[in-house]
Amino acid sequence: MKDVKEHNAEKMLKDYSPRVLIVDDEKGLRIGTQRLLEMEGYYVETAENGTQGIDMGTKNDFDLAVIDLKMPDIDGLQVLSEIKNVRPNTVCLIATAYASYDTAIESTRLGAYGYIPKPFTPDELLYNLQKAYAQRLLILESEQLKKEREANLLELANERSRLSTIINLIGDGVLVINKQGEVVYRNNSVFHNLNIVEAKDNKELLSKLPDKIIDLINNYLGSDELIKKSYSTQIEIIQNELFIEAITSPVPNPDGSLAGVAVVIRNITELKKIELIKNQFVSMVAHELKTPVAAVLGFLKIIIDKNLKISEDQQNDFVSRSIVRLRSLLDLVNDLLDISRMELKTKQREIVTLDIKEIIKSTVELLEIEAQKRSISFSLVMEESVPVIKADHNEITRLFTNILSNAVKYNKEEGSISIITGSNENYLIVKVIDTGIGLKEEDKEKLFQEFYRVKNEHTRGISGTGLGLTIVKQIVDSYHGKIEVESQYGKGTTFTIYLPINNNN
Amino acid sequence: MVLIAIIDDDPDILEASKLVLKSHGFDTITASNPDDGYKIVMENNPDLIILDVMMDEPDDGFFLAQKFRKNNVKTPILMYTSVSKTTGYDFGQSDMVPVDDFVEKPISPEELIEKVNKLLNKN
Repeated sequence: MKDVKEHNAEKMLKDYSPRVLIVDDEKGLRIGTQRLLEMEGYYVETAENGTQGIDMGTKNDFDLAVIDLKMPDIDGLQVLSEIKNVRPNTVCLIATAYASYDTAIESTRLGAYGYIPKPFTPDELLYNLQKAYAQRLLILESEQLKKEREANLLELANERSRLSTIINLIGDGVLVINKQGEVVYRNNSVFHNLNIVEAKDNKELLSKLPDKIIDLINNYLGSDELIKKSYSTQIEIIQNELFIEAITSPVPNPDGSLAGVAVVIRNITELKKIELIKNQFVSMVAHELKTPVAAVLGFLKIIIDKNLKISEDQQNDFVSRSIVRLRSLLDLVNDLLDISRMELKTKQREIVTLDIKEIIKSTVELLEIEAQKRSISFSLVMEESVPVIKADHNEITRLFTNILSNAVKYNKEEGSISIITGSNENYLIVKVIDTGIGLKEEDKEKLFQEFYRVKNEHTRGISGTGLGLTIVKQIVDSYHGKIEVESQYGKGTTFTIYLPINNNN
Repeated sequence: MVLIAIIDDDPDILEASKLVLKSHGFDTITASNPDDGYKIVMENNPDLIILDVMMDEPDDGFFLAQKFRKNNVKTPILMYTSVSKTTGYDFGQSDMVPVDDFVEKPISPEELIEKVNKLLNKN
């Protein structure tokens, strides 16, 4: 029975003429064979000696070659070896009248496909060639498959290296554990996010993982049934001052059983810090808002309480105290709104060219009444030509209102406030010098913090939100300026404000 | 006459508390910071101390209460708090917080008097 390949070879002959090289020194045999094969649909070329055979057989890629063993110039085995060397896929048959066991072995060793004893009948030749051609097709096909496989493998390797590059680039640590509890994959961020400096192998890495992560992994590995859920946990690694979030997910096999566990490790330290600051701020705000509300409610409850017989004077006193507290609450709410607007940058700024002297003069005018009550005097020392700046009028007015009202509030009776303007190459400089109560060193550092208010025997009875200088700092910073404070406790304070000059105009 | 010391940095709260207590026949002394508070208690030996939890610093009231106990002042302490509900701090009675009862701000006159009487009767 013919096998499939032979059948295919037969069919192929109809569409394609296999190229055959006949190498034989016997002219009659060459011509006869050529005629026979051409009639059967082969394309035939002939060589009349070994040298020519090598030449033709190496220059062209013949499908098949029939080589005579004994030739006068070069031995057939030599020809076979040379052709095979250059054209390993040409299927070669050795034709000989002197068949011997040794030559058979030798020719097979050199790559001959078969052996045709001479003299042969046309049928014998055709049968052998057909078989050889089937072999040729097999070789070509496997060659093709090999090429495709290599291309696939290359593509796969590229894909893997691309994927691994991507996974290594992401900031989250990625860790894959197999069913045996061994690390089978990890990216570099695992080290970075867990602050692991060194692990010589994956086993050591595993031993350095936080216990909570190991527990989560063991949850999956130890369960009889496949856990399909992902779990997330936040872990504080105190010795490294780290806060991480670990998310574990099962990796299932196609059949639904557990193949391993994937762990994603995210560094959330900064997030936690911000959260803490936010919580502190919220609780400070809550406290600041509640304090005046508590005071006013206390007064109102006393006024309404029939059992407490209070005089009309006392009642009026409580009402006016309540009004003062509510006003300061309103100031506080306004300050808070300003701060959040500044921070959200939602405030619509109207940037215009400003005359700083004008702003300072009108601010001083507003504060004069309050200052005169305590015999505090202002003195303004301003250069003729103060450089112009470009900024929002309301913001700069707010800046000087806060600074100058502090200079009044925290001044002594009969004190003074000097305002001096100047400039250097880049900045417009305004100095505000008061002769007030001054600042202790420890208060100076905290001065710009939200709700920070200096508390000592001099500041009792001075009201404020604790946000005035916070707002000042925010405004100055938002214009890329700076503010400096010098102070001597008991003598006075000097604020120096630097605002960038718009050099373009 | 029963003497009550009130220590709070909010002058309005001091004023209101003073009035409520006085109208119920209690004598009062006041201070607006921890140092003065410690002084008036040591000098006048009151029957009850009312102490605000948060003065200059958020835990000044606690430190003052601890200082009293350390120096063998066994006077009952009623603590004003204004933060527990708003900020989620949960103050309970403990060695850390050696006070006898709490009043949440804003203070209602009835609650204040009720708690004051309860503490005074206990002793």
